[in-house]
Amino acid sequence: MRGNLAVVPALALMAIVACSGSQPAGDANKILRESANAMAQLQTVSATLKLTKGTISIQGFTLVSAKTAVRMPNDSDTTYTVKQQDVSFKLQILIVGGHVYEHIPFTPMREITGPEAEAFPNMAKLFDPTTGFPAVIPAGTAKKYVASEQLDGVTVDHVSTLYTPEQVRGLLAALNSSGPVAADLWVRSSDHLIPKAVLAGAFGDAGAQAAIEVDISSFNAAVSIASPSPSQ
Amino acid sequence: MTFRRALVGLAGAGLFVAALDAYVVVTLLPAMTGDVGVTIENFEQATPIVTGFLAGYVVAMPLLGAYSDVRGRIPVYLACLGAFALGSVITATSGLWTFAGLPWMVAGRFVQGIGGGGMVPLALALAADLYRDRARTVALGSVAGLQEAGSVLGPIYGATLAAASAGAGGWRFVFWLNVPLAALCGLGLVLATAGRAGELASAPGGRSTVDWPSAALLGAGLGALVLGLYPDDPEHRALNALFPPAGLVAMILLGAYAWRQVRQLEPLIPRELLRSRAFAGVTAANVLVGAALIVTLVDVPILGRLVFDLEALDSGLLLTQFLIGVPVGAVAGGLLGARVGNRITAAAGVVLSALAFVQMSTWSANELTIHAGPIRQADVALALCGVGFGLVIAPLTAGVLALTRGESHGLATSLVVLARTMGMLVGLSALTAFGLYRFHQILGTPVLTDPDLRDRVKHLEQLVAAAFLQEYREIFLIAAALCALAAAVIAWSLAPARTSGGT
Repeated sequence: MRGNLAVVPALALMAIVACSGSQPAGDANKILRESANAMAQLQTVSATLKLTKGTISIQGFTLVSAKTAVRMPNDSDTTYTVKQQDVSFKLQILIVGGHVYEHIPFTPMREITGPEAEAFPNMAKLFDPTTGFPAVIPAGTAKKYVASEQLDGVTVDHVSTLYTPEQVRGLLAALNSSGPVAADLWVRSSDHLIPKAVLAGAFGDAGAQAAIEVDISSFNAAVSIASPSPSQ
Repeated sequence: MTFRRALVGLAGAGLFVAALDAYVVVTLLPAMTGDVGVTIENFEQATPIVTGFLAGYVVAMPLLGAYSDVRGRIPVYLACLGAFALGSVITATSGLWTFAGLPWMVAGRFVQGIGGGGMVPLALALAADLYRDRARTVALGSVAGLQEAGSVLGPIYGATLAAASAGAGGWRFVFWLNVPLAALCGLGLVLATAGRAGELASAPGGRSTVDWPSAALLGAGLGALVLGLYPDDPEHRALNALFPPAGLVAMILLGAYAWRQVRQLEPLIPRELLRSRAFAGVTAANVLVGAALIVTLVDVPILGRLVFDLEALDSGLLLTQFLIGVPVGAVAGGLLGARVGNRITAAAGVVLSALAFVQMSTWSANELTIHAGPIRQADVALALCGVGFGLVIAPLTAGVLALTRGESHGLATSLVVLARTMGMLVGLSALTAFGLYRFHQILGTPVLTDPDLRDRVKHLEQLVAAAFLQEYREIFLIAAALCALAAAVIAWSLAPARTSGGT
């Protein structure tokens, strides 16, 4: 009798677990395909990138974080927070109308050209339907549905996958990995957009392990990216 | 005897650790601010990291001594240690999560300051409770000395500890370490007083609660003052846009606080002494000395980082000669004060510091390579500056003690610390606002045409260093003027004869 009674809560627990949204239930392939389609439709978007592990250098400075506003197909306004020794400063790169402008603290904004301009990635390319995230998202391997989760009050599907170094480098040249890059993507269930991604791999300086967290927001919201006025 | 020594020693040790943290951040600021997202172009946002601690310190200091009269020294002291440890944890965790940014760090520093500031009157009162007559003066002097020593050693302590713990959290380690140190002091006090509560009977006549109206007046007044002096737009103006109304509100609130305090102090310190020229002069001189002293403690290490391109540890070590000079001057001040009087000794001390500041106002970018014989010229100036400040400590403290009865020496000593800390808080806020405004004026908007980004940044670094150097030269001149003013106040207020140092 006692043994039978003990089965009841166990069964109840199993039933709760089976019904729980945190159990793997989604199709990772389908989620990533739908996500790629949704991301390909974006006209404007904002993103922040934060280095959570390791060191990545950009133009000889240690990257701390980056914040960008993008207007498809080619305009972006990106502010890199970088460190030299332990002093942090902001470096703004504005790409608008085919021109590249640089803003170093305390100085006026100035246009840069040639190889110097090309050295900075255009963040708009990250969201290009043919070469950016939308193209790369469904192309990963070892796709796995992790769980249904809540992110900032929104239901998301958490999916993990692996990308090749070439795929990641194609997205952002600074992420020059010597091995596969593990990605965790959180895809909104409602509109299939990706509000958060975490990439981890050997793309740190000198091939060391590094991880970045990307928070994407303001999907198709108004952004202001304008050429600098002469006084700037 | 051992019981008393243990208690005062443990209370003094806790006070020393807290005082270290007042300026521990000076050499750590670049790393700390970077981790909470403050960049060099918004460096003014770092000011509250220093002033937040001082504000908490100043608010707590006058409040908790009376509260402990009834609640008991040890329980209130333990609560202060707890607040200090909690503030240290908050500060140490700044930047680890998205929500734990600059406001989190400033809040941590403020809570640290509350705990640290509360320990000052408590440690002094404990010493006063446990000792009598001449032994009391020695005990009070030792506790006050620990507080002073902690303050001036803070920058070098922080830089050394952060460098030694680079692989264990760096600047965060400095704050994490406070937790076991506070716990050790607290545990020691609990063990030492176990079963001996009767020997620590509360002093009679104390009030039963914290004087909340005074706390509110002082806190709001200082808050308004710090807000008014916060450089919200240093590129275009020296003071905050809200300075006129905030300054007026601060004056009213702090005036009301002072009036309330004077009324409450009257039973302890005679009315005529509170209103005497000597008391007003010593208080004013301490405020001025505090404002000048903070220039050395904060600005010299920052100058070392930004202009002389020193590492954090080396910028802290730049203060070594100054830190040696202070105790040397303090001992000499005690001896000279007894021989030639407090007025001449104190005035000579601040004049010496003023002369050192004048020399520092001529420093160049390669100052550290200039030698006077075998010694660096900068070290000579800093050593003399320290000796000058040391000379003034004992005569000014003695000047206040001479105005009070023996049982009020703890209160009088904490008034000295309060006045000096108030001077530091206001001086740091005002001089930072002025300095950042001048920095932007001097730097202007340089156009960099170097072909490579790294070259442009390098070029900018040189221009920024030159602007900072000019800014600090001017601040050193202001510090010299503050010292000269303090000398005039001392000469006007202290009695000329050596009797001013006796009781």
